[in-house]
Amino acid sequence: MPSDIPPSGPNAVPGHGNWAAELLPVIEGSTAVDGFADYCSGQEPEKLRGRYQALLPATPPGPGEQYAFEVDLDRCSGCKSCVVACHALNGLDEQESWREVGLLVGGGPDLPVLQHVTTACHHCLEPACQAACPVNAYQKDPGTGIVIHLDDQCFGCRYCTLACPYDVPKYHAAKGIVRKCDMCRTRLLAGEAPACVQACPHQAIRIRVVAADQIREAYETHTFLPGTPDPQLTEPTTVYTSRKVFPRNMLPADYYHLRPAEAHWPLVIMLILTQMSVGTLLTGQLLQREWGVEDWQRLAAWPATWSLLMGLVALAASTLHLGRPWLCFRAVLGLSHSWLSREIVAFGMFALLALVHAAATWGGLASYPLWLGRLAGTMATCVGLAAVVSSAMVYAATKRALWNGPSTVARFLLSTLLLGSVTTWWLTEVSVSITQEPPQAVLTSGRRMLATATISLTGLKLLYELSLLRYLRQPHQSALKRSAQLLIGPLGDTMLMRLACGVAGGLLLPALTIETALLEELGPWRLLPLTALLMATVSGEIFERYLFFTTCVVRRMPGAVQS
Amino acid sequence: MKWKNWFFQREGSYTEELRLDRSELIGGHVPRRLLPDQIVDSVCGYCSTGCSLRVHLREDEAVTVTGTPTYPVNRGMACPKGWEAVRVLQASDRATAPLLRIGRRDWKRLSWNDAINLFVQRMKAIQQQYGRDAVAFLGTGQLTTEELAFLGSLAKFGMGILDGDGNTRQCMASAVVAYQQAFGFDAPPYTYADLEQSDVLLFIGANPCIAHPILWQRVAQRRDNPTVIVIDPRTTETASQATLHVRVRPKTDLLLLYGIAKLLIENGWTNPEFIRNHTTGYQEFASFVQQFDIQRVVNETGVPGHIIKELAKAIGCGRRVSFWWTMGVNQSHQGVRTAQAIINLALLTGNIGRPGTGANSITGQCNAMGSRLFANTTNLLGGHDFTNPQHRNKVARILQIDETMIPHRKSLDYHHILEEVIRGRIRALWIVCTNPAHSWINQQLCHEVLERLDFLVVQDMYYSTETTRVAHLVLPAAGWGEKEGTFINSERRIGRVRKVAEPPGEALPDFVIFQRIARAWGCGRWIERWSDPESVFRILQELTAGQPCDFTGIDGYAHLEREGGIQWPYPRNAPDRRPERRLFEDGRFFHPDGRARFCFEEPRPPFEQPDASYPLLLNTGRGTAVQWHTQTRTSKSPLLRNLYPRQLTIEIHPNDARRLGIRPYDRVEVTSRRGRLVAAAFVTPTVPEGQVFLPMHYPEVNRLTPSVFDPYSFQPAYKHCAVRVTKLGSSLASGQ
Repeated sequence: MPSDIPPSGPNAVPGHGNWAAELLPVIEGSTAVDGFADYCSGQEPEKLRGRYQALLPATPPGPGEQYAFEVDLDRCSGCKSCVVACHALNGLDEQESWREVGLLVGGGPDLPVLQHVTTACHHCLEPACQAACPVNAYQKDPGTGIVIHLDDQCFGCRYCTLACPYDVPKYHAAKGIVRKCDMCRTRLLAGEAPACVQACPHQAIRIRVVAADQIREAYETHTFLPGTPDPQLTEPTTVYTSRKVFPRNMLPADYYHLRPAEAHWPLVIMLILTQMSVGTLLTGQLLQREWGVEDWQRLAAWPATWSLLMGLVALAASTLHLGRPWLCFRAVLGLSHSWLSREIVAFGMFALLALVHAAATWGGLASYPLWLGRLAGTMATCVGLAAVVSSAMVYAATKRALWNGPSTVARFLLSTLLLGSVTTWWLTEVSVSITQEPPQAVLTSGRRMLATATISLTGLKLLYELSLLRYLRQPHQSALKRSAQLLIGPLGDTMLMRLACGVAGGLLLPALTIETALLEELGPWRLLPLTALLMATVSGEIFERYLFFTTCVVRRMPGAVQS
Repeated sequence: MKWKNWFFQREGSYTEELRLDRSELIGGHVPRRLLPDQIVDSVCGYCSTGCSLRVHLREDEAVTVTGTPTYPVNRGMACPKGWEAVRVLQASDRATAPLLRIGRRDWKRLSWNDAINLFVQRMKAIQQQYGRDAVAFLGTGQLTTEELAFLGSLAKFGMGILDGDGNTRQCMASAVVAYQQAFGFDAPPYTYADLEQSDVLLFIGANPCIAHPILWQRVAQRRDNPTVIVIDPRTTETASQATLHVRVRPKTDLLLLYGIAKLLIENGWTNPEFIRNHTTGYQEFASFVQQFDIQRVVNETGVPGHIIKELAKAIGCGRRVSFWWTMGVNQSHQGVRTAQAIINLALLTGNIGRPGTGANSITGQCNAMGSRLFANTTNLLGGHDFTNPQHRNKVARILQIDETMIPHRKSLDYHHILEEVIRGRIRALWIVCTNPAHSWINQQLCHEVLERLDFLVVQDMYYSTETTRVAHLVLPAAGWGEKEGTFINSERRIGRVRKVAEPPGEALPDFVIFQRIARAWGCGRWIERWSDPESVFRILQELTAGQPCDFTGIDGYAHLEREGGIQWPYPRNAPDRRPERRLFEDGRFFHPDGRARFCFEEPRPPFEQPDASYPLLLNTGRGTAVQWHTQTRTSKSPLLRNLYPRQLTIEIHPNDARRLGIRPYDRVEVTSRRGRLVAAAFVTPTVPEGQVFLPMHYPEVNRLTPSVFDPYSFQPAYKHCAVRVTKLGSSLASGQ
């Protein structure tokens, strides 16, 4: 407020004088409009690009520097022209834009604060998308620091969309690839401003050169912008500036909005089946020691074949998750840095070994050495377990709270053991029913052992999953609290189904078989409760994995008002 | 493909798809597959800012829109609605053929001939049975000036209709009356350059950041830190960017403005010379405002005393002070007087007619200003007066019509037209390019009115509007971008609207529909001169001769295109032809004595105050910059649809939410004495405690609003009613 400005003009208060009127040049005749009119006359359109020169750096980045977006928040009024200009000037799909505008609100009754935030790819110093990509479709351009996505290299695994803490890369189902902002690299190299920079009526967005050291230093204090993920994860280069001091309660408009994340069904199926496959082989290896090779050999063909079959179905399911499955072989490219590459390669090897192992149990080939089959079995189990751990690491590497390393590894290994136990149990009973010559061990100790394993593994898993609800009592709206809220809220029905399946298939039915002579009494009909047990447990695991994906909160920049 | 590419493919069809190439036409890079071979500049068809959009054509198809870099209004910028202006023309619900309702649900497709004949037959039959005034029309501020004039002339001089009004009643009527009474003519005095030349900018009931984003660039791009004051109950985007935000209690703005006037007078912060030479009524006004002492103003407006003093001082001591208002002022039970209270401040301090000053109403729709001059409803064509015999004579002479065809009274306003339907006097309504079933206040009543009609004709771009769905006869119209003409923007700039796409199916430009109706009706020879938009434009020019809005100096459409639009006045041989001009630089107003009037009146309390049953105060307004009015167009862009909340959200203060047990994103029921709706709660301190806010773009919002109007402008008061908010269900279900 100009309370200290002396009054002036025709209505000036006597005594103060008219000094300001005399000092200030008459603005008319030198307005921006006039300047603009001069500027435009006879110069259209070649020199119009000059209008944006002030929004571009004068010199290209030197060593240790790169281009970055700079956003003057005091000028961002939330009009979203940048979002639409990005779409139009880059020729993107109907709903596609590489820029978004979110909203922060906060402050008290006396001074409420509302701040729109325009955001695009942050062209990070340590791009998580690049580290995650199994086919090396991301490159950090050495000259400009722009994180470039090679659309034709991408095979559409979407791992980058899970890895990026800012939810930047977006998947296109129709194209089967991911696309993202390239800071209008072509325009920048031609001396033009990026689409969003050109289109902002308030000149809130500009391009500047930043030094990597300074960006890193700034993030020692973890400050990027209120309501955003920890910048130390990827070191985003976008610079947000404001003269305002944000109140401490500044929160994204969508902060309390709960929305289940994407389910990734092919991944749910793939994870459950690969874990069943590895688990079946593992259980076989364990039972072999327990029961002796002799007895086990009579049954081994069943689990070995089943395991191979499930492994192959799982691999097929996993390719369904790829936008361009025929390029799946490219996954080997990222072996040195991408857990997804490692997972894919490990399961590929596992499938080969499982085939060798299964073939040995079929016995048709007389010359087929037994030791080779057994060696293949052991190796398949070891490689399979490594693959399961890789699976877990795929998610752990995204550094999301729910997917933290130890619990995800534990979760996946427990699933492997549980699915292995119930599958082996069921297969044993099936084979016994068909061949009518039950190995003694199976009928006596076997059932009890497998039932006990099923009960304890299920119990452990259910306890862990229920324990997530403890986060509901957290005072803060943490990522884990959101997951817990999703479990009792929008995904409450699925959670109930998961519990029902787990309790029925993993606790009640096996307990019944131990405590009563049910299976003996039922005779040939005993496959019925056992099939129910298997189906309930597998369904329960599928629900569990569905919740694993859908309750994992997506990290992102502040969002707009949702509904 | 080379074998190496099997593993590593840097380029290919996907890379190619997004390849950018330089276009010399555009002067920059655009996607190679969208390289234009032709460009056409056309004024945008949404808001009254009047930006020029550059439509990129490739093989005669509009592929992209950018802002026209050389146009003085927008300087290359466009808001999201403008960027997507062409996209919304392609929609599955576009009206493509005339439809006749059969029974309650079914529709029969008609040929244009049958449709026009049916229209004429039914309208004439109703006029014969019940009198000529049994038919009325409702127009818009979205048609071109030529079409608006055609509609008004055809209806009144051809069909003998007496009553017609436009949706401009909903946004601008209060400003119109305020200007007419104060200045002697409906004349917003400013040019956009005034936004760049003010020391002190006062925005009252206006959120240009969202409602007029491209206008705001004039303020946002200033590097000299002017004092920006925003008077608004809510912390809007504009308020956030202001130097001072005055959080006034809703509908107490009139009192605040009178209080400020008193402080200005008391402190000698007035311009006695200007008052003496250019105004009348100062003495009466000065004594009238004596009653608004600061304590009373503080008590009623809720604004602290030191802020009021600071405000008065900023206005009184600023060298160039400009006042800007929109719907917060106009859509009020005392909108005219509030607008005039703003005008009074400008008159008191002599802040008018100089650079960076003015009492400036920012208009709403793209051609509200065209509608104000040429709709032929409240005013006779060209800002003339129906009751003035000389005016009638002049118009009759220029149009070459029989003078007796011109009614001797102005039309009833929107609200009284609907009332006459209830009374049974009006039996048929012709609604062109507007959507009252969504936008009219107290919606349930409006629905009942529409149901009562013997014959409801709706002429629109889309089959799906709330009003089209209840029509008896639907006439499919071309939209913006599918026809030629002119718009007049907020700063009185006449700009060209160009055809860049073919209308879908059998849809026709409104201009052609009017021509066909005129021919079938048998209006006489005079209508033959109305052969094409440019001919009509020249007739309209003639009509303005000698009026304040005289633009007889414009030499046809080509001149407008060459100049980047031309502001009225622009008479023949006009001495002043600068591209940006303001009115009243000579201090002469349009009243016969050349003086402006101080208009004022005792403030009245609003219709409904919160009470025990309805404890919260509901305010409505624009939601986001990507939404336009009833969303018939903006909802057709898949991109824009992603940029606003799909369902209605209500803004509620954290303290109110806490008291009502409402958590963020809970589903809540909002009830007023007139209706109810369900919304998601957006808990935010930007709306004051005790108040809630709903964006007007959602069809259910006007179920709540009351039939309250300004007594002079009859503009609906959308922004004040009492409601109750109750929680429904669980917040955690919000994700579903």
